[in-house]
Amino acid sequence: MTETLRIQDQEFTLHPLGVAFWQNQNILLIADVHLGKTIHFRKHGIALPEASLYKNYENLDEVIEYFNPEQIYFLGDLFHSVHNREWYLFEEWVANQSAQITLIAGNHDIISDHYFEALGIEVLDELITDDFYFTHHPTTEPELFNICGHVHPGVKLKGPAKQTIKLSCFAQFEEQLILPAFGDFTGNFYIDQKTAEAIFICTEEEVILIN
Amino acid sequence: MKNENPYQIAEDWFQHRNWKPFPFQKQTWKAVLEGKNGLLNAPTGSGKTFALWIGIVLNYLNKNPDAFTKPKKGLKAVWITPLRALSVEIQQATQQFCDEIGLDFTVGIRTGDTSTQDRAKQKKNMPDLLITTPESLHLLLASKGYDKTFKNLDAIVIDEWHELLGSKRGVQVELGLSRLKTICNTLQIWGISATIGNLQQAQEVLLGPDSEALQNSVLIKAHIQKKIKVESIIPEKMERFPWRGHLGLHLLEDIIPILKKSRTTLIFTNTRSQCELWFQAILSKHPEFAGEIAMHHGSINKETRLWVEGAIRNESLKAVVCTSSLDLGVDFAPVETIIQIGGPKGVARFLQRAGRSGHQPGKESVIYFLPTHAIELIEASALQKAVKETVVEDRIPYLLSFDVLIQYLTTLAVSDGFYPEHIFKEVQQTFCFQAISEAQWKWVLNFITKGSQTLENYDEFQKVDIEEDGKFKVNNRGVAMRHRLSIGTIVSDAMLQVKYVKGGYVGTIEEWFISKLKPGDVFTFAGRNLELFQVKEMKVLVKKSKQKSAKVPSWMGGRMSFSSQMSDLLREELYKANHPNRSKEIKALSSLFERQKRESIVPEPHQFLIETFKSREGYHAVFYPFEGRFVHEAMGSLMAYRMSLLQPITFSIAFNDYGFELLSDQEIDMQQVLDNDLFTTKYLTDDLEKSLNATEMARRKFRDIAVIAGLVFQGYPNKLLKSKHLQSSSQLLFNVFKDFEPDNLLYQQAYRETFEHTLEEGRLIQAMERIMKQNIVWKACEKPTPFSFPIITDRLREKLTSEKVEDRIRRMMAQLEKD
Repeated sequence: MTETLRIQDQEFTLHPLGVAFWQNQNILLIADVHLGKTIHFRKHGIALPEASLYKNYENLDEVIEYFNPEQIYFLGDLFHSVHNREWYLFEEWVANQSAQITLIAGNHDIISDHYFEALGIEVLDELITDDFYFTHHPTTEPELFNICGHVHPGVKLKGPAKQTIKLSCFAQFEEQLILPAFGDFTGNFYIDQKTAEAIFICTEEEVILIN
Repeated sequence: MKNENPYQIAEDWFQHRNWKPFPFQKQTWKAVLEGKNGLLNAPTGSGKTFALWIGIVLNYLNKNPDAFTKPKKGLKAVWITPLRALSVEIQQATQQFCDEIGLDFTVGIRTGDTSTQDRAKQKKNMPDLLITTPESLHLLLASKGYDKTFKNLDAIVIDEWHELLGSKRGVQVELGLSRLKTICNTLQIWGISATIGNLQQAQEVLLGPDSEALQNSVLIKAHIQKKIKVESIIPEKMERFPWRGHLGLHLLEDIIPILKKSRTTLIFTNTRSQCELWFQAILSKHPEFAGEIAMHHGSINKETRLWVEGAIRNESLKAVVCTSSLDLGVDFAPVETIIQIGGPKGVARFLQRAGRSGHQPGKESVIYFLPTHAIELIEASALQKAVKETVVEDRIPYLLSFDVLIQYLTTLAVSDGFYPEHIFKEVQQTFCFQAISEAQWKWVLNFITKGSQTLENYDEFQKVDIEEDGKFKVNNRGVAMRHRLSIGTIVSDAMLQVKYVKGGYVGTIEEWFISKLKPGDVFTFAGRNLELFQVKEMKVLVKKSKQKSAKVPSWMGGRMSFSSQMSDLLREELYKANHPNRSKEIKALSSLFERQKRESIVPEPHQFLIETFKSREGYHAVFYPFEGRFVHEAMGSLMAYRMSLLQPITFSIAFNDYGFELLSDQEIDMQQVLDNDLFTTKYLTDDLEKSLNATEMARRKFRDIAVIAGLVFQGYPNKLLKSKHLQSSSQLLFNVFKDFEPDNLLYQQAYRETFEHTLEEGRLIQAMERIMKQNIVWKACEKPTPFSFPIITDRLREKLTSEKVEDRIRRMMAQLEKD
């Protein structure tokens, strides 16, 4: 069901829900969750079903239970909007976590750092751990391997008989790995397969390596 | 002093112009004077405007004898028209009558083209007659104190009601009228409709079933029969005529003599891209037409459109290449000839277009039909027959359109607010919502106030507030502004303005087309070759280009389906292929039929044809019910679904008016399909529902519903909100409702509409029953047949699969490695 990716002697496990687990360091990497989006929409008169917002937490719990990480890095766009009622749910969720949480802030993360810090979450613009460079936006830095989000990568596969399949994916480049968006309620940006070194497609059940 | 003969003024005016009123005009005047409501069935160019407008004026003068000497200000009548292009024409005719009888009435227009200043002026001082669109009427209902604006409204006319009836704009009109009935002291409601199959129903929908208005109403028929002559343009060398295609440019030379012979010719195309191409092609092959030929379609700017319309009227143009933008209204006396390029897909539309020529009474209308590919000649032959037998189609009204209701209630909440118990009574009296249940109404109210949550807990949902006295009101300015900007039920792609870098407006263009271009690319638009400079905010900046070849925007419109009557005629004509008594169109096709027979058959009435063959693309199975695009879409999905139960398989489905194709990378065991009785009507609804879930049809319907109901906001005029974002977010919304709120009425509406309006379940059942009685003839062919060609080359496709996505990915990868 998962797929293993080796980068510079380090082992990363890719999970169908779109997260990567750094085995050697016991760190779980998650990008673009976009919490708070449902309520943000509702606040603007767009009646999304409120029940939909719990799905993100269920999925988070699922991957945390599966990997049991020591640390979690959120690679940006964790919270979609300004402070709203969903914050309290998030607070409750954080309180139940034993892993240490770090947020690399993204363009949507406009909630003031001290809210996060009050929950024990460290907020950074970027983070270097060993030879790995964690950011929200794809960024290259000599000698470092960049792991990031922001793009919401997806691929369109074309097959015989005019068939196509569209799914979100991990996109690996020479010095970079872009994670798919974790959030349920997000769209994809379809990348050109040929430009990437490797593509790992996420279906509901599996991660599949193509090219 | 009361006028002895209330018709005197009108009769004098007609006499003065050396005209004689038609009987239907007199009947209409009388009915209006008697205070009746009604539906006037009259074609364009018959004097329908004078029938109603004079009636309304006479009635007003009768009730207000001192109107000439002591005119009272304020709105007295409203004229609703579906197309902005028609409003000028109506304004001129109505204003002229008032001026010439010496009545100080002003006639104003309020549409999307009206400037903000003019709107503000109108608001302070309403004209006596206001010509407007359904959307603009609702915008008036969204402004404060609208009840005062309409208080003294005496009459409202819904022009071209047949056009609105089968669309959600019709629902918008129904709801608008339900409000006006209450707030106007006295209101007469009149509709004008061309001939359709369900005229009586049209009257009922307009006035409200079981309403007082309906009881006090009449149906007046003009009985104006136009003589229409249909001529097909038949290629001289049929052997070289293509089997597929939709442009028809290879027959360009054949229309040149027609253009030269006639005073003015309208050339109707089905899409705007086709319109652009024809215009370019005529000019480049025949430069002598420069300055004498113009183009008219909905994306061209208003000034140019008005100029073209004026130029047709004063006969300074030889020909105009146009789209449905010139279908309605507007009388153009100099137009002598009509050319229809490609199938018009409906008899009513074809007749309407034919009627655009030969406006002088008694004059024959001539319409030429130019086929764009060989099989369309069968359509040409069927059209001839349809015109001879005056076949008319029904327009099916929408039922329980909750999206429009939600928009309407928000509109009322934005202006003065509303009390649900009052509005519920009004809404229940409309045709669309006659069957709305108490529970559904509560759901809608709950949706706009609490975002459809049932829990009483604190929520940040913000749209409509319930005030202390129970009034529903929008108090948030942002909500109000977003709502006003998105009123309207015609959903289109985001439109961008096309402007020259140096200044000067060219027109508007769909965002998705521009998104495919890079700066420096050249495209054809409004008859010019333009180079894309940059896209900035909602503007596309362009430069003139001298480059010859260019991309032509292809608009998504123009995907229409045959009506059932047309399909019947089409089959009848086809079945004559093997018989001596056939039309010249069918005769012309004999070489094509010979080719068809080499590999397959030309079916007889008792035969149902299925062809299978293999190509580089995969395994094709083509079915030929000849039932029209919509039925084929339904039947194609249904068959694909049933076949996918026999084995895990993935299909790509294509369909046109003649048949449908199932394409797969795996061989289809047709014998097994036949043995399993897959055409049965048993479990049809159930299977159809399941196939709907497996395809994208309902999802696509939901896009419009989400926009109309305000779930997706299309953006502020000056801020570019990518329409791509809109597309994906309405799809995401669909998924969210599917997973978390499947009882959401809007989500369910997407399925209901697909059943009622796209799939036409009733027609599907009839078609399946017919097929069950036929002999199924399965031909395993070596290569594609002429019949299959237009279908298998169609690019708009539906998908259906019963395979696991993981298996499909692995097979695709294996395939790639092989290549």
